[in-house]
Amino acid sequence: MKKLLALLLALSMTLALAACGGNKTGGETPAASGDGDAAAADSGKTYKVAMICDSSISDGGWGMACYNAMIDAAEKHGWATEVSDSIAQSAYYDNIVSYCDLGYDLIYAPGNQYTDAVLQAAEEYPDIAFALLNGAETTPAAAVNGNVTSLLPDATQVGWIAGALAGLMSETGKVAFIGGMELDTTKGKYEGFVESAVYVAAQEGKEVSALDIVYSGSFDASDKGIEFAKAMMDQGADVFFGDASAVDSGARQAIDEANAAAGSVKVYDIAQPSDSLGQNECIIGSQVTDNSSMVGLCMEAVENGTFGGETIYGTLQNGALSAGALSDLVPEDIQAKYLDYIEQMKNDTFMK
Amino acid sequence: MDQSFISNLILASVRMATPLIFLALAELYSQRAGLVHIGLEGLAAIGSLVGFLVSLITGSPLLGVVAGAAVGILVNMIYAYATIDLCAEQTVYGMAINIFAPALASFIYRVYFGAGSELVQVSLMTSLSSLLNISSESFLVKLLLDQTPMVYLAYGLVIFTAIYFNKTKSGLNFKAVGEYPKAAATLGINVIGVKYGASVICGALAGIGGAYLTTCYATTYTDGNVAGRGFIALAAVIFGRWSAGGVLLACLFFGFCDALQIRLQVSSFGVPYQFFQMIPYIATVVVLAVIGTKQAGPKGSGKPYLREER
Amino acid sequence: MKNSGKLVNFLVPVISILLAFIIGCIIMAALGANPFTALQALCIGAFGSIRNVGTTLARSTPLIFTGLCACFAYRCGVFNLGGEGQFIMGSIVCCYIATQSGIEGLPAILLCLIAGAAAGGLWALLAGVLKVYRGQNEMIITIMLNYAATLFMGVIYTNWLREGSVPQTQSVPDATKLSRLFGLRATTAFVLAILAGLLVYYFLFYTSKGFQLRAVGLNMTAAQFNGFAVKKYILMSFVVSGAIAGLGGSAELLGTQFRLINGFASGYGFDGVAMALIGQLHPLATILVAIFFAALRVGSTTMQAATGVPTSVSDIIQALVIVFTVAGLAMVKLPQFKAAMVKLFDKKKEVA
Repeated sequence: MKKLLALLLALSMTLALAACGGNKTGGETPAASGDGDAAAADSGKTYKVAMICDSSISDGGWGMACYNAMIDAAEKHGWATEVSDSIAQSAYYDNIVSYCDLGYDLIYAPGNQYTDAVLQAAEEYPDIAFALLNGAETTPAAAVNGNVTSLLPDATQVGWIAGALAGLMSETGKVAFIGGMELDTTKGKYEGFVESAVYVAAQEGKEVSALDIVYSGSFDASDKGIEFAKAMMDQGADVFFGDASAVDSGARQAIDEANAAAGSVKVYDIAQPSDSLGQNECIIGSQVTDNSSMVGLCMEAVENGTFGGETIYGTLQNGALSAGALSDLVPEDIQAKYLDYIEQMKNDTFMK
Repeated sequence: MDQSFISNLILASVRMATPLIFLALAELYSQRAGLVHIGLEGLAAIGSLVGFLVSLITGSPLLGVVAGAAVGILVNMIYAYATIDLCAEQTVYGMAINIFAPALASFIYRVYFGAGSELVQVSLMTSLSSLLNISSESFLVKLLLDQTPMVYLAYGLVIFTAIYFNKTKSGLNFKAVGEYPKAAATLGINVIGVKYGASVICGALAGIGGAYLTTCYATTYTDGNVAGRGFIALAAVIFGRWSAGGVLLACLFFGFCDALQIRLQVSSFGVPYQFFQMIPYIATVVVLAVIGTKQAGPKGSGKPYLREER
Repeated sequence: MKNSGKLVNFLVPVISILLAFIIGCIIMAALGANPFTALQALCIGAFGSIRNVGTTLARSTPLIFTGLCACFAYRCGVFNLGGEGQFIMGSIVCCYIATQSGIEGLPAILLCLIAGAAAGGLWALLAGVLKVYRGQNEMIITIMLNYAATLFMGVIYTNWLREGSVPQTQSVPDATKLSRLFGLRATTAFVLAILAGLLVYYFLFYTSKGFQLRAVGLNMTAAQFNGFAVKKYILMSFVVSGAIAGLGGSAELLGTQFRLINGFASGYGFDGVAMALIGQLHPLATILVAIFFAALRVGSTTMQAATGVPTSVSDIIQALVIVFTVAGLAMVKLPQFKAAMVKLFDKKKEVA
């Protein structure tokens, strides 16, 4: 009797849910939230883009910049947007699939770490477009349905842009880099950062070396950023660059505290991928990536039915990469030198 | 391994241990009254968020801590009512709190800040040394003075707790409730009252422990920022053998393991860092295996107390 | 009176679920969303199409395994909170065999499942030995062992079995993956879970060993007095419940995740305990409760997209169901409550 009742109870719960779902089986998936009410003029359809993100969209770094890029692009193209942030690595695929099932036109996955989940979902949903920021050059070809596009800002150039400033500004001769995961793009940024810092410092008659890269293993552990930065400052690092979202914010907090304790700003941080000058006192400049225009290109391709299978590069030359505004902490002569190095990078004469 | 490495390691250990001390004391009070509480993770999560919001709105980290304590008490009253009055299984209810409170915290954060993507930062509590206008690079000054008032509060509470449980009549009564509730009741001790009192203290301390993370440690709030500290605190109480002094040492040791683990990652040490993170849990299991059941904490711990059975 | 007790046991979860949904609706209304539209979207997301049903069943599969794990142990009076650790240890061994042994296809699947179950059972036995021979509280021990297992899995995917730049293991070979049911996301792992549930049900309620095991769970002292080998039953319930979780870990790895990554199995252990309790420790009811919770999770993304109600509302509803049910079940066991019930029934009144 007891068993029967327990069964009945659970059955009724499930059935209740099933029934109310069942009524709607034939119905269209519900309309997306109202942020993008402007329908695309020519087709009369409101396209929808969904972003997934493992860090928070208010992390003051990567997640925030990528989210704003999507919002920017969506406003320009009249798309509706949706986001799921702070999701665990094991839930990437589940979240992507939820949006696919909801009939989203474009899935925007800002990071190399989403590659496997995106490829898996792209295989199952051939009609949906997937934009993979920092996706590898080989990824679009690996998608059997040809519905994955890599947006690939040149990681080495990203590193160069930050590294040149670090090389100019470092006084202790030690620069540091905090990574989130050991992604190829993160490694690329680190390598570019180091070679550029060493080269520029040598041009100035200084000797600069970089501490080994550290990885927080996640993008949302800001407390790890605090401890990493403290440990690295103990080892003498005075210019920081990073690729770890909220972890970078933690690092900046620790740097600000150390500067406050020392009474003057002696340790600096360089931000990416949006211009974050003023967010923290220690930020002396930013490497800026125009993710918005790259996402915009994807949206246009979706609207025109031409999406897929390509790699959209972002470089200094095509304007997707640039150096952000510099803080007053950077002396004017150094500002001039820095802009000169950026020019060299653009003209392909840097380190040559 | 130069001197500065070691002194920095010690400073980091103290820094990492402080939130653990609050949480472990919360657990200690709860267990001493016979309530095993595995829901500290949840209490700290909501305390951390409310502390963050209040210190953001009022601009006062101190008010943030007070609010964190208040919300900790509030949420813990759900646990207290269910486990004390309804005699619900304590561990299961702690687990329910662990699922409920972080969901609530995440929800409040999202609703309060909307779909905004600004990085919201609060100013942290100032340290004693900057209040006194002392700035020195010396290790002792840094260790003893360059700390927020919360750190002194944590150590003060440890001393208070040690005296309370061992030297005061009220403290001995408190312990009796956790050991032999029925005997305590026959002696005229208000068992239910003590249990509720313990829950208030536990909720407040756990809320403070969570609020510490956003008012004294990190300037930002992220979901999951408690990061298992609630369970490490539980481990610290067992590892510290249910005494205030032992709990303090356990927290410092676990804080040290954490600080060391971070530094080993920075210096690309060969052994995977997760093994160092495992130390608190493994150590607790080993301690439990070694000490056996007779010395394993308050005897009434985890058992419901029915008024009728008096 | 006997029947009324069963009716109450049946009503508690139902009322709890209703209460949780009412509070959820109030929250949604306070946010300015129409609660009915939101709940409808939730249902559509979970059961609106055959594809969504498949997703829901796939998400419920690991919960069923950990729920059965808790159910089996609790029936013997063993509070095994270590379902998560046992699940993870099973998946680690499974991952090692699937990716390193070179065996593929059905033999590999069978080997993986058996080895995974064995690993889960052994990991649970560790806690069982400490309980039986050292008299320790198994709840604390299993919680600690959960964390140890999670961190150990971290070592596996960041170091020992890591593949490539992202911290994750190699994917299980295609031939070793569990096949999908009717092309849906649910795999044969779901069938396996149902079979496991039926087996547990049969064992507990239709065999003499199962009867004795339940007798130990109901009253350990009386069981000892009757000459039952109590220690043996306790150890057995640890091993079997751990094996169920370990089997689940293998099935999840071979059916859904394919690789060990950060966040794998996070929360499944506690979830399982909650499912088992709400299902009144009945294996088949536990399965239905797991499906119900999976539906709430799967549907919440649709709800967020359709109404702007954050997915965390769904988390809150789930948590409230647990909070109310556990409190309610404890309440009906109170002597005062029982006395009140007797009074009510003596007057032959209906229970509300």
